[in-house]
Amino acid sequence: MRAIPTLKISISGVRGVVGQSLTPKLLTRFAQAFGTHTGSGTIVIGRDPRTSGEMVKHAVVAGLLSTGSRVIDIGVCPVPTVQLQVRQRRAQGGIAITASHNPAEWNALKFIGANGLFLDSGQARELLDIYHQGEYTKVGGAELRTVEEVEGATDLHIKAILDALGPLPQSQKKLRVVLDSCNGAGSLVGPKLIEALGAEVIPINVTPDGSFPRPAEPVPENLGELCRAVKEHKADVGFAQDMDADRLAIVSDHGEPIGEDYTLVLAILHVLGREKGPVVANLSTTSAVADIAKRFDCPVFLTKIGEVNVTDAMQQHQAVIGGEGNGGVIYPRINFARDSLVGMALVLHLLAESGKSVTELLEDIPRYTIVKEKMTCPSDRIPSVLRIVRQEFAQFPLDTRDGVKVILPDGWLLVRGSNTEPIIRVVAEAKSEDRAKAIVSEAISKLGF
Amino acid sequence: MKPLKIGITGVRGIVGETFTPELAVEFAESFGTYLDRGRILVCRDTRPSGPMIRSAVLAGLLAAGCEVVDLGTCPTPSMQLAVKWLKADGGIAITAGHNPWQWNALKFVRGDGLYLNATQGEELLDIFHQGEFAKAGWDTIKQTIQPADAIEEHVKVLSESFAVETIRSKKLTVAVDCCNGACSFLSPKWLATLGCEVLAVNDNPSAPFPHSPEPKPETMAQLCAVVKAGRAAIGFAHDADGERLGIVSDLGEPLSEEMTLAIAADIRLRRKIGTVVTNVSTSSAIDIVASRYGANVVRVPVGQAYISEGLIEHNGVLGGEGSGGITVPEVHMTHDSAAAMGLILEHLAQTGERVSDLLSGLPRLTTLKHNVTVAPHRLYSVLQEFRAVMDQERIEIDSTDGIKVTLPDGWVHVRASNTESMIRIIVEASEQAAARELLDWARDRIKR
Repeated sequence: MRAIPTLKISISGVRGVVGQSLTPKLLTRFAQAFGTHTGSGTIVIGRDPRTSGEMVKHAVVAGLLSTGSRVIDIGVCPVPTVQLQVRQRRAQGGIAITASHNPAEWNALKFIGANGLFLDSGQARELLDIYHQGEYTKVGGAELRTVEEVEGATDLHIKAILDALGPLPQSQKKLRVVLDSCNGAGSLVGPKLIEALGAEVIPINVTPDGSFPRPAEPVPENLGELCRAVKEHKADVGFAQDMDADRLAIVSDHGEPIGEDYTLVLAILHVLGREKGPVVANLSTTSAVADIAKRFDCPVFLTKIGEVNVTDAMQQHQAVIGGEGNGGVIYPRINFARDSLVGMALVLHLLAESGKSVTELLEDIPRYTIVKEKMTCPSDRIPSVLRIVRQEFAQFPLDTRDGVKVILPDGWLLVRGSNTEPIIRVVAEAKSEDRAKAIVSEAISKLGF
Repeated sequence: MKPLKIGITGVRGIVGETFTPELAVEFAESFGTYLDRGRILVCRDTRPSGPMIRSAVLAGLLAAGCEVVDLGTCPTPSMQLAVKWLKADGGIAITAGHNPWQWNALKFVRGDGLYLNATQGEELLDIFHQGEFAKAGWDTIKQTIQPADAIEEHVKVLSESFAVETIRSKKLTVAVDCCNGACSFLSPKWLATLGCEVLAVNDNPSAPFPHSPEPKPETMAQLCAVVKAGRAAIGFAHDADGERLGIVSDLGEPLSEEMTLAIAADIRLRRKIGTVVTNVSTSSAIDIVASRYGANVVRVPVGQAYISEGLIEHNGVLGGEGSGGITVPEVHMTHDSAAAMGLILEHLAQTGERVSDLLSGLPRLTTLKHNVTVAPHRLYSVLQEFRAVMDQERIEIDSTDGIKVTLPDGWVHVRASNTESMIRIIVEASEQAAARELLDWARDRIKR
């Protein structure tokens, strides 16, 4: 069996490589399917600044218009801005054109429902059924509507953040922030937000031209330039966004990446300090989340991996804050989406209101290390691998909602098959890196890889 | 039967039924592949499906690696001129010309501003059918570049081709019906440049077509009223994209679209005697006019590309078709209703003659046009059957395009439409009754 590695059509949308599998015909058909699914309403579209973005946009607009949808094009902007605009404009849906952290040759469509959330798995299956059946709503003549190009969506986003959180409290010294937007969708709005909050911003990589100055994923190994800039400018904090500005990573005042897990931890620390309530994260998120929530006497709910699972649970439990360990902060008072802008605002408020540095704040938070490994594994073998994990670790509490999570006395182990590639992921967390590595290698040897 | 026609003149259909965004995307990809990327201009007329088809075309061209200049809404001839001054490799006009507003189509223009000829149209179709298109990667894909003002440049080129000062000095009153089409942007501006008192109707490009965009007497009632009420020297009627021109005389008489070429030829040949290129289906009035000046008429198959090629080959002085499309070679080698207006107004200004004076010297024949809807797979067999009947009756045929026969009372032309699934029958005679008889004669033989 030979997989086509450059195209992925799944419940999380359609993703492919431009110039290979991601053809305008495929894109226009998906847009037709989405227009059909949403009943020819108003659809908000936005995109990251990838070089293929304009081509993809036109294909999407053609497909949407042909179904009688009205299209509001808010241009190059963060994905969470599209999600926010869907709600602000009471649209029937949205399409975000971005392959988030994937390299430059990729692009993708992500489908957003009328509630501003990504389609859940049921809705996404309906969309895929429509796509595959190939019978789309077609309108002609006077029923055809137009595309409106709208500016200022990101200003409304900033306004929503300021309305909810206010500017930073006045202090003698303005916070100094280095922002690395990866020349992505956050390039223009990121610096504007930080200034609007009342901090000083030193922007790097803020030319949204589709060039990738570094790999888009804001993981520590990609943040060398930001770390140096933080030290050089003696900044209080460094922020790194990914290409579509949903995820946020933080560099401390010492110029060290704090680990993308700790973005959510700091955001939770700030929010629970102001209002108590449930916290939602996924199974793969650091235990520091639970430690902080416990400090405020708030419950934590862990979900399956996937943004939509987190947002679903947040709605169900009326969470005050939630997110993912990959740097995705979801603060429902502003936006029901992973939103790096919201994340930055929460962390800056935390710094300003506590008067503490990032380093000082972290000293007060339990530190864990997460170690991740992946092994090639045909998808038909994944169930038997998971069975081995259940047997080998039967003496410990197990959570089997998404792969198998083993709750160890001094940490946890998560083994799960990938949704997107023929691999199995082995993730462990412990107080020390050595211990986490030991858990991972023990698991791998037991699995027989 | 589905209203869709894919052929050597491009793709044409009803949006919401057969003309889908995928088709437009794939034709644009085919064209981008055919021209090996390069710079491509895109324009459209004012149909409500224009924005949808435009997006599909831009997506297809960009995906194929083209650099796209989007001229927005403008007449097709404005884009054809712009191909030259913007040094483009080609263009796509999104317009169904004279077809009703539910229709749309793509028309393909080469690097010299002319339409693809039949061979090139076939090559494009082969690429479309093979379905293997050029694909730009992330590092070679291009963007749409800022639109240029094709209308302003068009007016400039027109101004250089006619005696603008003479026309301006006469302050002619001119009525124009833009059919709320692309000429709404060009025609009033061009007439104002010529110093005319402009009485424009249906010049709102965001409003629907007020009537069929075919400039024929039956669509010109409003224009006739404006000419009469405003005592205009002439009334001009446009189609949706600025190729065909209809004329209302100073007396308020709507003229058959066949007369546009006869008038233009009469004006043209007085100044410069040379070959007139027209199609086999156009009124014999052109032969009568040409013979008065000792000029030659070359008949080519129906379609603009043939007129352009004929003009170049024979170094012609004027081209045109019975549909009202006129080509004035000084402006460019393609139909351009604004150029035809310039030619006619220049004559009125220079001679002081009225349109009704011009008409009194022209033959008035009766041309009847009849369409027979035929299933697409039967189009050519119907023609072949008609040919067999002609053979049986030992009637000599001209097979330049379809079948044309000349009978004692006039002529009959039977051909398959390039753009719709129908057989067109055109007959002409000097008298109405004779023309009717010819039409019945032809219909009888097609029914057999």
